Amino acid sequence: MSGSTVPPIEPGLMVRELAVRAGTFELRAVDLDVAAGRVLALLGPSGSGKTTLIEAIAGLRPARGGTVHLAGRNLTLLPPERRRIGVVFQDGALFPNLTVAENVRFGLRARGEAGTDRAGMLLRRLGLAQLADRSPRSLSGGEAQRVALARALAIQPRLLLLDEPLSALDQPAREELRGTLQELLAELAIPAVYVTHDRTEALTLGDDLAVMVNGSLRRTGTAREVAASPGDPAVARLLGWLELGRGTLSQGQVRIGQLTLTLPGPASDHRRADLFYRPEDVLIGPDNPQAVAAGCYAARVERIIPATPLAVISLAATPAVTVLLLHRQLKQLGLQEGARVNVVFPPEALHVIPLADPPEPQP
Amino acid sequence: MSMADAASGPRGWPSGGFEAALWLLGGLLVAFIILPVVRLTTTASAASVRHAAAAGPVRDATLLSLQDAAIAAVAATVLGVPLAYLLAARRFPGRGLVQAVVDLPLAVPHTVAGIALLFTFGRAGWIGAPAGHLGVSFYGSQWGIVTAMLFVSAPFAVNSCRVAFEAIDPKLERAARSLGATPWLAFRRVTLPLAVRGVLTGAVLVYARSISEFGAVVILAYYPATAPVEIYNLFLQSGLTQSAAAAVVLLTVALATFLVLRTLASGRLLVRFDRAAY
Repeated sequence: MSGSTVPPIEPGLMVRELAVRAGTFELRAVDLDVAAGRVLALLGPSGSGKTTLIEAIAGLRPARGGTVHLAGRNLTLLPPERRRIGVVFQDGALFPNLTVAENVRFGLRARGEAGTDRAGMLLRRLGLAQLADRSPRSLSGGEAQRVALARALAIQPRLLLLDEPLSALDQPAREELRGTLQELLAELAIPAVYVTHDRTEALTLGDDLAVMVNGSLRRTGTAREVAASPGDPAVARLLGWLELGRGTLSQGQVRIGQLTLTLPGPASDHRRADLFYRPEDVLIGPDNPQAVAAGCYAARVERIIPATPLAVISLAATPAVTVLLLHRQLKQLGLQEGARVNVVFPPEALHVIPLADPPEPQP
Repeated sequence: MSMADAASGPRGWPSGGFEAALWLLGGLLVAFIILPVVRLTTTASAASVRHAAAAGPVRDATLLSLQDAAIAAVAATVLGVPLAYLLAARRFPGRGLVQAVVDLPLAVPHTVAGIALLFTFGRAGWIGAPAGHLGVSFYGSQWGIVTAMLFVSAPFAVNSCRVAFEAIDPKLERAARSLGATPWLAFRRVTLPLAVRGVLTGAVLVYARSISEFGAVVILAYYPATAPVEIYNLFLQSGLTQSAAAAVVLLTVALATFLVLRTLASGRLLVRFDRAAY
């Protein structure tokens, strides 16, 4: 336990050095802050420990160390039923033996607050009033998640934790519920943590972003900051940056295969770095279209995939590059597979992640 | 597509031969079970069965069997549900060993079980002796009958409940806890109602196993005679024909109660019960 932290006065969530073990998996010393009224998107690949972390915050898993403060109160040693933290689970986890309305009232009854009409209000607010007497078994995935949300909000939680609530839904239901969630989360005056492995969800719903990889938080900040400057290879990949390769920075330049890039900012000599690029920011064309470029080279169009919303162009060159284009641009350029094109990297399309200096060679 | 559709499908001889083998071997087993039962019921005349049912000893023994089997079923459920829940929902050192201990009575010959129980619950046994000082005797008493029934049938209650608990998504209890339910409330309102079918099925299996128990009961509590013991006595004293009538009485009563209880435990009646438990 860390003894040096002072509980905050603000009504937010403060997690300090939280350590949890789940089987062989270990969550190491996680620090997390979410202010009231803000949504923290917790982004990470499957198995990175996101669910374990929120279960520990909710008290559903014992912490091996660290503290959880909510609204200035230390919850670390309280059982889950005394934390007043709303949890929405991945597949809803509705009680199949109860009706929709009984599910939503469950927390109120458990807390002896059954007298209020909060359950009815939430059912109406989430468009569930006509489903009140139905069994959860008869609901669609989207309806079930709405019920789960109403059930979690009925107890007037001090914190809302959402564990991949959209991941089990099909595309249309997911987009619809994402809209509902966006509105609802904006109305709430409590902190919320939204767990997801989907960067679109994370960036749509999160005010702040925390990226978890292998049981530790690699990066936290506002969603915009982290997306623009991930600062860590795993975080960059999760946020849609693609890997260009590894090179040595020398006098503000780096060479990777046939590509020489001039990098903005102060020249840090002889540092190895991983280079990432945004595939939608790379430009391609028959000639050299732009004066302000960090670098450019020639490549052959290997494959054109007409995906939506953006077309995916695979380019054969060293290093190989994938570019995303609007279908309109694709048409304008008249690109064909096998054609030779000029590839231009604007400075804002690049992200440099310096590697730790290698140890001095031993004599 | 159902299994039957798949089997009679267009794939020709493998399906046809396989289908025939399934029905032939399955039918053989059903016939093997049903034949002795039919033979028994046809041996005893209706008059002799009526006479046996009216006779004091057979009637008393049958009622005693029903009563003690019911007590054993209740006791096995009350003690079996907590153990089954622990085995299903908790990870603790020695869990595999506990599961093996639970299954032990299934592997032990029931006469052996009776002797072991006699050493423990008999007049000089580890539990029998101190219980005797308190005025409770297991040897030759209803206590002994229930004890023997419970020993041989408890695994059915524990295993049936454990399977039911294991089938429940552990997230449901976590959801209940996060909503403000204590562990007991989460168990009572969510887990137990969802496992109720398994619990009742276990109780019915215990009841059925207890009614039919002979070996352990006859050693620990020969008297008062349960129905199987009484039938064995009749067989030794009066021969096959006399015991057949009593056997038909027990068969009818045991089968009837078993079928009724099993229908209750697995039937649609429970849909309402699930909800009522909330």
